[in-house]
Order: sequence, then structure tokens, then C-alpha cells
Amino acid sequence: MKLNMGFGLISLVMCLFFVRSPVAVRSVSASPHPPLKDPFIGIAPEDEKYYKTSSDFIKCKDGSKKFSKAQLNDDFCDCPDGTDEPGTSACPAGKFYCRNAGHAPLFLYSSRVNDGICDCCDGSDEYDGKVKCPITCWEAGKVARDKLKKKIATYQEGVALRQQEVEQAKLGLAKDEADLSRLKAEEKILKGLVQQLKERKEEIEKAEEKERLQKEKEEKERKEAEEKANEEENKAEQEDNPDKTAAVENTDSEEIPTESMQDDEIGLLEDSSSYQDVAKDNDEPTAEVEHSDTSGSEGSLVNEVEQPAAEAKEESAVLPDSGSKGNDVSENTEGLSKEELGRLVASRWTGETTAKQTEEVDATKDNEHEEHEELPRGTHGEESDGYASETDNDSERYDDDNDDVEDDVDEDFRDEDHDDPSSSYKSDSEIESDLSDMTIPSNPSWLEKIQKTVQNILRAVNLFQAPVNQSEAANVRKEYDESSAKLSKIESRISSLSQKLKHDFGPEKEFYSFYGRCFEGKENKYVYKVCPYKQASQEEGHTTTRLGRWDKFEDSYRVMVFSNGDKCWNGPDRSLKVKLRCGLKNEVADVDEPSRCEYVALLSTPALCLEEKLQELQHKLDLMNKEQPQSHDEL
Amino acid sequence: MKPPMKNLNLFFLLLLVLGLHLSPVLSWKKEEFRNCNQTPFCKHARARKPGFCSLIARDVSISNGDLTAKLVPKTPHHEQDPDQIKPLILALSAYQDGILRLRIDEDPSLGPPKKRFEVPDVIVPEFSSKKLWLQRVSTATINGDAGPSSIVYLSDGYEAVLRHDPFEVYVREKSNGNRVISLNSHGLFDFEQLRAKSEGEDWEERFRTHTDTRPYGPQSISFDVSFYGADFVYGIPEHASSHALKPTRGPGLEDSEPYRLFNLDVFEYIHDSPFGIYGSIPFMISHGKSRGTSGFFWLNAAEMQIDVMATGWADAESGIALPSEKSRIDTLWMSEAGIVDAFFFMGPGPKDVVKQYTSVTGMPAMPQLFATAYHQCRWNYRDEEDVEHVDSKFDEHNIPYDVLWLDIEHADGKRYFTWDRTLFPHPEKMQGKLAAKGRHMVTIVDPHIKRDDSYHVHKEATQKGYYVKDASGSDFDGWCWPGSSSYPDILSPEIRSWWADRFSFENYVGSTPSLYIWNDMNEPSVFNGPELTMPRDALHYGGIEHRELHNAYGYYFHMATADGLVKRGDGKDRPFVLSRALFAGSQRHGAVWTGDNSAEWDHLRVSVPMILTLGLTGISFSGADVGGFFGNPEPELLVRWYQLGAYYPFFRGHAHHDTKRREPWLFGERNTELIRDAIHVRYTLLPYFYTLFREANSSGVPVIRPLWMEFPSEEATFSNDEAFMVGNSIMVQGIYTERAKHASVYLPGKQSWYDLRSGTAYKGGMTHKLAVSEDSIPAFQRAGTIISRKDRFRRSSTQMVNDPYTLVIALNSSQEAEGELYVDDGKSFEFEHGAYIHRRFVFSGGKLTSVNLATTSPGKSQFSSESVVERIVLLGHAPGPKSALIEPTNQKVSIELGPLWLQWGRGSAVVTIRKPGVRIGDEWTIKIL
Repeated sequence: MKLNMGFGLISLVMCLFFVRSPVAVRSVSASPHPPLKDPFIGIAPEDEKYYKTSSDFIKCKDGSKKFSKAQLNDDFCDCPDGTDEPGTSACPAGKFYCRNAGHAPLFLYSSRVNDGICDCCDGSDEYDGKVKCPITCWEAGKVARDKLKKKIATYQEGVALRQQEVEQAKLGLAKDEADLSRLKAEEKILKGLVQQLKERKEEIEKAEEKERLQKEKEEKERKEAEEKANEEENKAEQEDNPDKTAAVENTDSEEIPTESMQDDEIGLLEDSSSYQDVAKDNDEPTAEVEHSDTSGSEGSLVNEVEQPAAEAKEESAVLPDSGSKGNDVSENTEGLSKEELGRLVASRWTGETTAKQTEEVDATKDNEHEEHEELPRGTHGEESDGYASETDNDSERYDDDNDDVEDDVDEDFRDEDHDDPSSSYKSDSEIESDLSDMTIPSNPSWLEKIQKTVQNILRAVNLFQAPVNQSEAANVRKEYDESSAKLSKIESRISSLSQKLKHDFGPEKEFYSFYGRCFEGKENKYVYKVCPYKQASQEEGHTTTRLGRWDKFEDSYRVMVFSNGDKCWNGPDRSLKVKLRCGLKNEVADVDEPSRCEYVALLSTPALCLEEKLQELQHKLDLMNKEQPQSHDEL
Repeated sequence: MKPPMKNLNLFFLLLLVLGLHLSPVLSWKKEEFRNCNQTPFCKHARARKPGFCSLIARDVSISNGDLTAKLVPKTPHHEQDPDQIKPLILALSAYQDGILRLRIDEDPSLGPPKKRFEVPDVIVPEFSSKKLWLQRVSTATINGDAGPSSIVYLSDGYEAVLRHDPFEVYVREKSNGNRVISLNSHGLFDFEQLRAKSEGEDWEERFRTHTDTRPYGPQSISFDVSFYGADFVYGIPEHASSHALKPTRGPGLEDSEPYRLFNLDVFEYIHDSPFGIYGSIPFMISHGKSRGTSGFFWLNAAEMQIDVMATGWADAESGIALPSEKSRIDTLWMSEAGIVDAFFFMGPGPKDVVKQYTSVTGMPAMPQLFATAYHQCRWNYRDEEDVEHVDSKFDEHNIPYDVLWLDIEHADGKRYFTWDRTLFPHPEKMQGKLAAKGRHMVTIVDPHIKRDDSYHVHKEATQKGYYVKDASGSDFDGWCWPGSSSYPDILSPEIRSWWADRFSFENYVGSTPSLYIWNDMNEPSVFNGPELTMPRDALHYGGIEHRELHNAYGYYFHMATADGLVKRGDGKDRPFVLSRALFAGSQRHGAVWTGDNSAEWDHLRVSVPMILTLGLTGISFSGADVGGFFGNPEPELLVRWYQLGAYYPFFRGHAHHDTKRREPWLFGERNTELIRDAIHVRYTLLPYFYTLFREANSSGVPVIRPLWMEFPSEEATFSNDEAFMVGNSIMVQGIYTERAKHASVYLPGKQSWYDLRSGTAYKGGMTHKLAVSEDSIPAFQRAGTIISRKDRFRRSSTQMVNDPYTLVIALNSSQEAEGELYVDDGKSFEFEHGAYIHRRFVFSGGKLTSVNLATTSPGKSQFSSESVVERIVLLGHAPGPKSALIEPTNQKVSIELGPLWLQWGRGSAVVTIRKPGVRIGDEWTIKIL
């Protein structure tokens, strides 16, 4: 882009020289050799008053001393702050102003004055006659103005988009908060019901147990009776037992509430093919998020997570070993071929896997290659351990099985294709629909219904007696299982919602819509995926490298920081800084790795299209338009 | 026998000390490198007892202006191998300016199996013209000797003495008979003559997985050299160790290694070790308060090991009490092959010795002006965008720099002379953009050539048979960056010429006149070779074994590359080539740096003795990677490194590709400011530095100097390597610790010193405890000197050419001062034909005079400069005078109080002559009224 512009500029300049050479010549001769003809060169218009004083002396702006008018721009530095030499290179701290009529004015370091390099498009910084600077302000200014106009147009549209975002964010947030408080209310009620059901269930179970014992006893007694035929002693014992068992049960349930929670979860899993639910959850990010943070889910889901974590530990235990193989050639070079030795030694400096040194990976190198390849995987796994337990279990998608990732991506793409085909999609797009599935907000009376059902059941079984009515007991169990499943879903939903609401969505919540979304950009062979509030990754084929987990905004919401990504061999943990720019679409571009394993990317987004900035740009354009020299109209 | 217990304790102690020492730098693979005990010639030589040598000198005569003799065993029918008793030929030659040359070789007329290697193209051709043709030899029995000695008179009041029995060579002062340097005074001389292999003899040497076939068998040489009136010895780079060489042998030093000279690519070298690293200069300098300075240089490119003996070593080893002079330092020199071609330098001053040495091996090349400015490097600036970005950031932050460097990744698959076209599609344009700002680019060209038939350099080298051969005669194939690689046989002048031609604009596609070269890995580094280098039995042009020239391989490579750049510019453009490997004479070909150092305070610290030692041994243009190559420096370390590095002769920031970016603006505003300041100091002092480079170029005296070189009679300076002199006028003390609040600074000499930044005066000849701030490291201008500065900050040195000068006159106690300024076009060789300005400024009696030092003669080329003096600062002058008179123009200018440095503004006010406006090349005087 820049190059082309430069070329265009040069050719334009040539044209200018050809057509308007008198002007160009005039301007060069206007400021020929030192001493300066214009004693006020390099002074900004707003500053002229300061210098064009009637007094004989002018003060240095820093107040350190004063200088005579003759000392103004006399190519000798008198003021440490450069006040006396705005138009020469004499003061290191000085600033030179070029008017650049037709373009934007510019302040230069004084070191640029008469250094033989044309910095101002009006050539005013080179007046000692050593070089002739072409005057290019009009052309450069036109290019700049056009660019600025385009930028303003983008901003104008962007500001509107941003406004919409902000409003939607407000609605979304209000809805989230409403959901949250409703969910909390529901949770409260449901908790009570579940507790009641639980108690009832336990009573039933107790009764059943008693019945069973009774039956066993009866059986036994019958057998005994058959032998001894003594009925009356049995009756007396029958009345003692129930109290004892009840007392034991009570203390149990008070002492180990967690256990009973776990039991509940197991119940949930067993019920209504909930195992499939979990499997489905893995595909549906929303469900996972919600599950992970509910304490109740630990029993079921953490088990799944733990497995890769354990694997990771194993791998990481291997890590130092394989690491030292790369680093410490000395120990085991004896068996290596000359070539392998060379590669290994080279890898000390590069920190690369030796096989990557050249494209000619031949079969003999495969072993070694694999050893090194383990490294990223090992560290990967290690990371996922912490990741899973800290935030959510969908790290599996990134760390455990690459096929899953692919599936996810595909699915996510499908979901959002119509929305924003190029670069963004909602990875967690099902949040809303999922929520409705679970809590059925379309039918506000579901809770009442449950309440009613529960009441009925409770009432029905209230007067239970031995023997237990099996269909009533089944009703209680079913209702209990369903209710506690719903409760746990609500709890996880509450947890994820409160997690979400904890995030910093910007001063006007303009980044609210970023939550749960990912933006993609392609750079060479890599696909970069930036998921704000979550993580960022680099994908090449089936290999995913995490560049960082969401950290924070920086630089007044102009930069998103993802840190603590996958480890780099010999380098720092990977990290990514995403610089945000005003744009009409959310698009990732220009991913770069200026330092090893420290990535930067650009994300254009309407969220950065600020009204104030737009006004600033418009003001700048106004100024530029005002500065247009009349003489160029004929061009 | 020593008591074993004591030994054991010592061993553990050493282990402990070493262990503590090495803990942060475990990466250094000590076991990959041979120690003396694993190196038979070294082990044997070290095991010999004083008095071992039984040779005597016979048939002493004068022939061809030399004193010649034969060395034969004293008892002809010794039980030695008959081959070992062939007489050796000895020749002593005298040269102007106090130089004695000693050569000992096998007698070619006796038909040795092979001619032993003599290192070609190191001694400059002019040197032969300095030979003094000896006419007479006198014979005398010198006090205490049993037999006679032959004596020849050298120049400058010195005599060379050859004692016949036992054989010994020494130089003494004629007037008082005091010895200066001697060889074989302890009878450790040994010369293994080439011979036929006897039945069943095994000459092979094995080290780790490598086998050295050693087809010519043992051929080592060793001898002892003694320096008299010496308090310390210095030199024999390259080692990461103290400037004054620590003893390696003697009581209490049983486990120490000798100083090793063997060019090696050492991964993460440690900062205090006698082990060999990238370069070798077998030149040692001794200095003492009583006698002064002398030097000894052994021109030999094979592996060398040198012991510095502690006092009392001989008593401990032989039990024979030799006449032990307190101020004598004994050394043992051991080499695997070659001949004795040794030079004795009489001094007597430090600068004399350096001049004498450089008259043999050549003067340091005069660099282009840009090369003396700041260089920005990183492995790697990845692509054109990156280059453009870094370049523009320097401008944005108003930090000057002159050269941007591209490391190995710029080339297409490490095929040097090519470009990775996806990263660098438009190399010419990229260089053009830099050149438009007066900046230059350097690309790397290493000696390992990728074995790829589609690579033109490889194809041609293969076809022409230009590669080094392995022991079996095929092209040597080793592993380096590009993978399988071969190495040009750069010993051959024909191949050097071919290599030089690779740098023509036609051959090096994408190169432009603003592109210069960096030679790395030229030890040579061979990743899968023994000790990471080329096998010793590899074969070079003329059947020379690699073992014989190993230490000079990089030197020839450097030479050929520099020649290539000269050729490229039709002999009009001074070359710039940075080399990592170095040898005696490397100063003629360009700059060197101290290799892959680490971002540690200890490495900052050791950079000073390393650079001082290189300077002392001729290589004045050297530097260490600012910031440290490996690792990430804390901002404070980086800042301190810039503050010190600004005074390195070669000033380059560089970093490994695994490190974080560390361009000067990446560490917050304050650190950016501090680094900018440090770089600005260098740019401001460029006229002074350039003058010093010219001094080095014409006298060999290095740009930065150990304190003792300027203050040779002050013992307090002899082992000080924390501070150094930049020329004769500025002293710099590094800060080598974190959060330093104070520094003890010894200011030598009788005159005062002016703080470079504040102008505050400090007394000389004492140690000052000074407060240290983050702003700068302590630096002082010596009273009695005049420094030329250019105070305007530009983007690069190129834009400073016409800028006006500031003269800083630091008056001594008698209100006098003088200094020099040298200016030329900064680029071409025209200065060699007289196109330069060379002035001496003398301030005396309240009057500053500019004296012409340029030798003018008709027909010489001319150089003129428009630059004027814009300001003259007088340190140590009482305020009062209001004006000065300029002659011959008879103009009056005003005197006022002004800042010493414009950028640090207000501070102290110093007497300043305002706008004298005199042209720098003109005759003028300025008288204070």
C-alpha cells in the first residue's frame, strides 16, 4: 500500500515539476542559504505572537534565561529548551514547524533541519541549499485527505454500528441481569423443593429399607418359625426398630452433605440418558461453561477432565528428560551419526527441533523428531490441567483431541455463516437457546407446575405407610431426579452468567458482544483465532497452539492482551496482543511475531469507532482543507 | 610426591568454587572441549621439568644478515630416536625499532618427510624492509656462564644474546646488561621433528566420537619465555578473563588449565575462564614499573596452550633453586605443530610495544565513519516490513543509528549471497530506503556453504575443487546452519580471490553499495566436528593439514571477504567486515566482536578486559554485543550496557532470536531516554573516536586502552580492568552491579579530571567514592586535553558531516591543554594520499592555536571541510573574560557562561566562547581577552 502510494507520489511530483516548474524553482530560491531570510522560520502560527514581541529580548520558555532578537534562529543554541532556535538544528531539544500548505502541518525534531533529507512536503526544513526538496504537499495532501475522508466515512458508519452495539449491550446486559435474578429466585424455590423431595425420598428409602429388613427378618423368622414356630416374640421386636434406623439416617445426611450432592449428580447422569447430555455438552460450549463452575457438576464432569490432566502430568514428567536431550547433547552423542550430531548441536542456538532445521527430514531422524515433538504437547497438557480446573472444561476442545476442535470449528462456522462469513463467529452461540431449553422461559409457569406436582406428590405420599406404595415412590424419585437436574442446570447457568457479568466490557459495554465470540484471520499457513474473554490460538492443520488466555484490556481499551499461552522452547510463554482499530467488521489481520513467541495482531471492530475520534478526524480534515493553497486550484 | 590428602582437599575446594561459579551457566559443555590432559602435546610439555632441554648451539655465524646456528643435542649418542637428533636450524634477525625475530625449523637439506607450515600472509610485506643486516657477531662468556655466548647488537641500545650451552636466547640492555625477554632459560624447549612411523606405533588420537588420523605423527613445539622487570603479563586473546593474566601454574594451581588458543564456537561461554573461544593471537605483553613494557609474539596458527607461571613454580617443580627474580614472569608456550617464528619486542613503553607488534602484523584498517557509529542488530530482523518498522522507530524516538543488520534468516535456506524472497522480495529497494537516510545495511555471509547442487556457490566451488578436503581427499562435509555444508579452502590465494569475487554486485544479487558484510562461524564452526570445529586432519591447499592453520582459517576468510568489498568498490570504498574468528593481523581486515555473550552483569564486566586485550594485541576495532546475546537483560542491565557500549570501539546491539525484542524504545519512556542519551554521547564523540581510529590506523595504538598504557608508572592501574581510557583524554568506569549507588573510581595521574557530564573537577592520583545515578556511568575528561565533539543530533552519522564542532578544552594546572582532530571523507582511501585534515589544538597562555599536522606535498589529494567551530568550552577556566579575538580575521566574539552539554541543559555553567565560526581545516588562533 505504502509503496504504491510512494510511487504515485513520485510520478505526481515529476508531473508537477514539469508543469509548474516556475513555482518549484521560486520556492527553492525563496529560502536559499543561511543566514536566514525569514527570522521566524520553524515557528508555529500559534506561537508567532510569542516571538513577535516589541521588546528587545525574548525569554526562553523554560524561564532559564532570555535572548536577544538577533539570537533568534542564529544557529547557536542559547535556550536549553530550544526556544531560540525553532528554525535551526542548533538546539537538541528544538522543534521545527513546517506549514505544509495543502497538507497537514508538522513538527520535526530540530535534528531534521538541513540534514539533507526532505521531511516537510513544502521543503521548508531544507533551506541551506544543499538539497532541493520537491514541493509535494498538494499531492501528498490530496492523498492524505482522500485517505482521511475514507477513514471518516468508516468512522461515521462505525460510530453508528458502535452505538447499536452499545444499545444491544445494554439490553443484553439487562436481560442477563434479569435472567440472573430470576434464576436465583428459581434456584431458591427449586432448592426448597429438591430438599423436600430429598427428605421425602429418604423417608421412602428408609421405609423401603425398613420394609426390606422387615421382609428379610420375616423371611428369616418364617424360616425360624418353621423350625421353632414362635410368633409372638417377633411382634415385640417389630416396634423397636424404626426409630433406631431413622436416627442413624439423620446424622448421616447432616454430616456429609457433599456426598449426597454427589449422589444427586450421579442420579442426574443416570437419569434420562444424561451421559449423552454430557457428551453433547462437549460439543456445545454453552453447556460446558455452565456445568464447569457448578459445584454439583464436579462429580460427573471433572472426572472426564481429569483424565487428560493426568496424561498431561505424565507427559510433563517426561518433559525435562526430552528437554535435556535437546539441550544436552554431550551425554548421549556417542551413538549419533555425524549428521544427527550436527543437528543437535545446531539446535542449541536455535532452540528449534533439530528436524526442523532443514526440510530434508529423513527416516533416520524420525525418532529424534518425535522426541522433540513431544515437547509442545507435553507443555500443552500441563497447561490444560490448570486451565480446565480454573475456568471451564472446554479446554478439552483445544487440548485433548484435535478432531473435536475441527468439529467445533465446523459447527460454529455453520451456525454463524450467515452472520459474518469471513472472520467472526459465535463459538458459544447456543447460550440463549440452551438456556431456553433448560429453563423454558417461554412457559413462565413451569416452576409453578413443578411446585404443584411436587406438592401433590408430597401430599400423596405424605401419609405413606408400610408397605410403601411403589408407584408413589417412583414418582418421588423421578420428580426428585428431574428437579435436582434442573437445579444443577440453573446453578451452572447462574455461575456462568455471573462469570460473564464479572468481565470488563468496556466503558460503554461496547465489547459486550465480543463475549462468547471468536474472530479469525489467516496469515500464511496459519489460522489465528481470537476469542475475547477466553483465549487465542494459532492453528495449522490439525495442530493448535494456544497463544494465550484472556488477560485484560490495555491502553484504554485499545489493546486486548492474551497471556500465558503455550510454552515456547527456550522462549517465554506465548502471548498475543491484539490492537484494536475502528472498522466496520470484526476482522483479525496482520498477525505478527515480532519477538519469539510474542505475537501481535490487529482487530478492526466498530467498537473502536469513537465519536470523539470522528470529530477529531473531521476537524483535521477541515484544517487540511483550509490550508489548501489557492494556486493549485488550476491543477 | 605431594601428600594426597592435601591434594584431595584442594580438589574439593576447587570443585566447590567451580560449582558455585558455574551454576548459572550450565549450558557451557566443558566436556565437549579437550583439556590439556586430553591433549597429548600439552600434557607432555607440561610434564617436563626445568632443565629438560639438552640442545646446544653450534656453528654460529652470520649469514644473509642473520645470526644463524645449529641446535644439536649435547650428547650426540643419546638414546633418543635418531630422527630427533637431526640438527635444527636457528636464525636470529634484527629489525628497526627494537624487534628481534627468532626462527627455528628443521633443516630442509636433511630431507624431512614434509615441510612444516609457516603461516603466510600475516607479516606485512613492508616489514621485510625494516630488517637490519647484521654484520658482526661477538663472542663472550657472560658472567656466571660455563660456556660462551654469541652477541649481536640490535638497535636502540639492545643486544641479542645466543648462549650456546645450554642453548638460550635473550635480549638485554647493552648499557647495564639487564635482561628484557629470554627464551629457554628454564630448559623447557622441545621440538618434535617429523619422522617416519615406526613399526606398531599408533599415531591416532581419539576424542569423544572423533578420531584424528594424525598421518604425520607428533610434531609439537614448546618452550619457556621469561619477561623481566614485569609485574603483570597481558594479551594472548581471546579469553573471557581478566586483563592482567592470572597464573595458571605453580603452587596452589595444580588443577588450572593453561590459556588455550584454539578458535572455537563455544555455546554460552563463561565469563572467567582460560578456555579458548573464537580467536587466537599468540602475542603476550609484559609490563612492570621497573623496566617498562616488552612483548613476545609467536607466529603459529596451530593449537597453542600457554601457561603463566606463578612465582616459585620452578622451585616447586624441580627442587632446583633457579635464580628467581621477583619481577620476572615465566611462561610456557606449547603448540601442536608449525615452526618457531617468534618476535621479541623491546618496548620500552606500552605504546612502543603495540607499535612494534603492528609493524609486523599490520596497522588496524581505517574504518568508514558510519562503522564507528551505532549498529542495530538482531537475529533476526525478519522481513522488509520489520526492517522498515525498526528503522522508522529510531526516527520516531529521535535515536540515531547507522547500520541495520540481517542475520542468517535473511538468506534463502542459509545459502549466503541469496535472499529469502518471500521475506525480502526487494532487497535493493530496502537498502535504498535506508541509504536515503544515510544508513547502511550489513548481511551475514558465513563460510559454511550449503551442499545443494542448485546453489551456484556450491556448484562452482565443487567444480573448481575449492573446498577443504577431508582426510581421505573428498570435499569435507560438515554440519552447520544450512545442514550438510562444505567450507572454501580460503588458505589458497586463488580461492580467496574467487571468494572475493562473490561480493561483486553482479554475483551478489540484491546487494547495493550501502551493503556490508558480517562473517560469523568462521572458526570454523562445524556442529558435528570434534570440539565443534573442523577435524585436524582435514586437508588444505598444498597438503597443509587443518591442524597447522586452524587458528588462522577465520583470518583468511575475513581477509578474503574484505578484499571482496574493496574489489566491489573498485578500490575506492573502505570495506566493513565484522568477523568472529580472529588471528594476529585481523586488525587489517576489519572489526571483530566478542561473540555470543550472555545478558548477565558478569558478561558486561568481562567485556572490558576482553576488548582491552584485543586492542593491546592490535585489534583496536572490537566490541561486545550490547545487551548480551543470550537471555533477556533487565532494563537496568541493558541501560548500563548501552552506557558502557557507547565507548566500545565497535558499538552494536545484538540479541538471540529466542530473546524478547529489545530495541531501545521497548522499556518505557525513562529507559528509552537513558538509552538515547547513551547513544547520543557516542554520536557526539564521533569526531574524537574517528581521530582515535586514525591514530590506531597510523600507530597501532588502540582506540580504548588499559589505564596502564596511559599511566605506565602507576602501579594502581596495572590490574585495573573495570575502567579504561578512550584515547588519552577520556576515562570511563563501567557500572557492573545492579542498583549501584556508589562507585569507587581511581583517577590516575597527577592532573585533575573533569566529569564528562557535569564538568566537576576531581583530583587525580586517588580513589574517589562517587555517587552514581542511572543517568550515566562515570566518565571523565583528563585535564590538559582537548576533545572535539559534534553536538547536533542527526538520524545517522552521515548527516553530521557538515555539522559544526564544539571543542571542549579541559585545562590542566598550568592552564594548558592540547588535543587532535582528524577528518577525512569518511569513506574512501583518498586519505592514504593525503586527503585529510589533521589538526592539533593547543591552548596555552590564554590562546588557542590550531596547528596543521597533515603532511602536505604537491600532487597530493586534498580534503576540505565546510565545518566550523560553533562553540568552545573551557573547563577549569575562571569566569570573567567577556570576549575573544580571532586571528587572522581579527574578529571579536563574545564569551559567556553556558551549559557543557546542551541536552542536559541547565546544570553547571562553563566558560563558553560563542560562535567563533572558524573553519576546522584553517589556520587560526583565538585569544581570550
